[in-house]
Amino acid sequence: MEDLILKVENVSKYYPGVTALNNVSFTIKKGEVRALVGENGAGKSTLIKCIMGVERPDTGHVSMNYNGEWVINTDALEAQRHGVFANYQNVNIADELSVAENYFLGNQPRNAFGIIDWKKMNEESSKILHKFSMDIDPREKINRLPLAMQAMVTISKIALNDNIKLVIFDEPTALLENEKTKILFDFIKSLKEQGVSVIYISHRLEEIMDICDSVTVLKDGTYVDTQPIENVSKDILISMMVGREMSDIYNIRHFKPGKELLRVENFSDDDNFRDINFQVHEGEIVGFVGLVGAGRSEVMRALCGLSHKTGDVYIREAKTDIKNPADAMEKGISFLTEDRRKDGLALQLPISININMNSYKMISSNGVISLSKEIERAKEFCKKVNVKTPNISQLVGNLSGGNQQKVVIAKLLCLNPDILIFDEPTVGVDVGAKEEIYKIMEDLTSQGKGIILISSYLPEVMGLSDRLIVMAGGQVTGDFSREEVTKLREEDVLLCASHEAAV
Amino acid sequence: MLNKDKTFKLKDLAKHTEFTLIIIIVGLFILASVFTENFFSTYNITNLMKQCAIIGVLAVAQTIIISTGGIDISGGAITGLSCMVLALLQRDTNLNVFVTLIIAVIVSVIAGFINGFIIHDFKVPPMIATLGSATIIRGIVKIISKALTVSGLNKGILDMGNLSLFNLIPVLAIIWIAVAIIIFLVLKYTIFGRNLYIIGSGVEVARLSGIKVRKMFYSVYALAGLLYGIAGIMLAARVQSALPTGGEGYDMNAIAAAVIGGASLSGGRGTVSGTLLGTILMVIINNAGVQFGLNTHILEITSGVLIVFAVTMDMLKNRVKK
Repeated sequence: MEDLILKVENVSKYYPGVTALNNVSFTIKKGEVRALVGENGAGKSTLIKCIMGVERPDTGHVSMNYNGEWVINTDALEAQRHGVFANYQNVNIADELSVAENYFLGNQPRNAFGIIDWKKMNEESSKILHKFSMDIDPREKINRLPLAMQAMVTISKIALNDNIKLVIFDEPTALLENEKTKILFDFIKSLKEQGVSVIYISHRLEEIMDICDSVTVLKDGTYVDTQPIENVSKDILISMMVGREMSDIYNIRHFKPGKELLRVENFSDDDNFRDINFQVHEGEIVGFVGLVGAGRSEVMRALCGLSHKTGDVYIREAKTDIKNPADAMEKGISFLTEDRRKDGLALQLPISININMNSYKMISSNGVISLSKEIERAKEFCKKVNVKTPNISQLVGNLSGGNQQKVVIAKLLCLNPDILIFDEPTVGVDVGAKEEIYKIMEDLTSQGKGIILISSYLPEVMGLSDRLIVMAGGQVTGDFSREEVTKLREEDVLLCASHEAAV
Repeated sequence: MLNKDKTFKLKDLAKHTEFTLIIIIVGLFILASVFTENFFSTYNITNLMKQCAIIGVLAVAQTIIISTGGIDISGGAITGLSCMVLALLQRDTNLNVFVTLIIAVIVSVIAGFINGFIIHDFKVPPMIATLGSATIIRGIVKIISKALTVSGLNKGILDMGNLSLFNLIPVLAIIWIAVAIIIFLVLKYTIFGRNLYIIGSGVEVARLSGIKVRKMFYSVYALAGLLYGIAGIMLAARVQSALPTGGEGYDMNAIAAAVIGGASLSGGRGTVSGTLLGTILMVIINNAGVQFGLNTHILEITSGVLIVFAVTMDMLKNRVKK
């Protein structure tokens, strides 16, 4: 017990409609670098939140060894006081402040008069920057720095603390190039030498083999196993992560692709993707896979006229220029965005308005809406996608994730589009609703519609796609037909998606 | 899965607020009628309605803007501008009275449009943009009026301020109610109305739904300008002249009326009927208070408490949902 730093005991966490964690238990030793792996939705992020005290487990508890006493952190501040620090996946910074201010946020050095000691602050910051081989001025405003540098600032910020016991890195290398990754690894090694424990989350298994002592695998919210790193290989890890019955839910009917609906040629923007080519045919699901930052969503946003790009788009063989989302809709393309709460739904408004939101023109004349048609259509499409709700005046914000997503899909269907882009359609959606969403997709392809599916969840995208396009670093690194996809193993796709050459 | 609930109404969202407001208003009305000598008199009831009318129109405009997640504190200033432009034109030119009315309204629409332009194109927060424009407009009004009260209004306008239907319902109140009904119908039955709430729920959501967000911002603030223009004419009629400080202090009352009526400052919520009741409640508290012989400063405090209470309720409601 003495040499343990963290105990996770029988932790379960439920969200409406989803079991995020189911009776997870494991321990971490002092000075141990532990990898935490699992597919998206395996429960890693929820577990981190429980460790940081940001979320309370519904059952069980997470406790840590603080100078020989076992304590439970009830919030992030307390966790930090006890020496637990987390580096989150999304870079957490105060945009408008300088690097030094970000380092010392809420903890600025003061002089005898209680006034911020800028000189000292900048000097201390310079030391840290130097230590991490970052050649920047601490007075530089942080939002002027490239994303990778910003990520390094948040990582190096941890080194400012002197009571570090446990550090959690959540996908720290997603934004880093090789050279910086090496600096990060040196930092982790130095932490380990000081007896600090590390939890390291990454999709890049080779990194885990390099840097970690042991690995814990989660799958669909349940604990699979913990092994010393010597005992596993990449293949073993993947089979542990994936190792489930390839259940029937991905087993939809596939159709013979018909005529070409959409062709994208030489698509590039200035920084997120370049030289993208693909086609979508009638009745076809084209899957896009890639790691965070591979540029998949950016391609689709550009396609819908949401950002600047160069290249050509052909719809039904006719060259076209899509200026904005309204234009895209008129030309038969509907976009289900990744963040439904932010981009897809008006949460404070009722289901009926949300469903009709795109298409009020179709049920109105001279701008005057037919209220009866509004209700009729909302009901009709609710039924079509099976939104579970007592009535259509229910506010969307009160629905579960799965039902919210179905409302978004209903909204798209109202326009009867030819091409639907589904960006991570099943994130935060429970298994039952997932299956229903797949059935809707099958139904759509059976009607000859084309679907572009972006998903980070490999079984899903591999099971559903008629064509699979792999992206890495803004480029296409793999393009597989249905026959090839059925023979592919997930590790092949992962390899392809972490293609170094593309970076 | 859907039951037979056939009557979806946007006002369901605010039903609770409206019901409460009606109870309070009726209660106050009865109390004041029974316990004071002058409250329930033709003169006072007419006066009450006049007091409601101008603030009422501004509050309707505010409701539109608040439902998009914005706020407009230049309403009083634009009202004052419209009033002053009208008075100057009628005093100093021989223009037809209808032409002067139209010019006053057009000037107000332009002022509102400029607000919309600054807010959308320069991404200035509505509060700051309209604070700026309010200050500019107040300056302009003082320059064109040489900071003096302008009288010499057309007789028709003067009559409008004095006349009442059946000697009970003032013309000003009829205009207020007409404006409220029109905007109520617009919010309930038009795409424009739906788009307001969608924008209020999230500009990105609206943009991705194919709503022309820029056009919406321009038209929302221009429409508010139109209503301020009308309010300016009403102000001229009520005061029988144009003051260089005309319309000052109206904005906070209008915002308060909308918020008390259930409009949410975080956007996506707000109804004309709620605002109507909010306006009446604000005015009735003051009017009845005076009849009860309460100190007007105490009444100010009461109104303030009411506003804080209404906003707190709104925040609590939102919190529960998240």
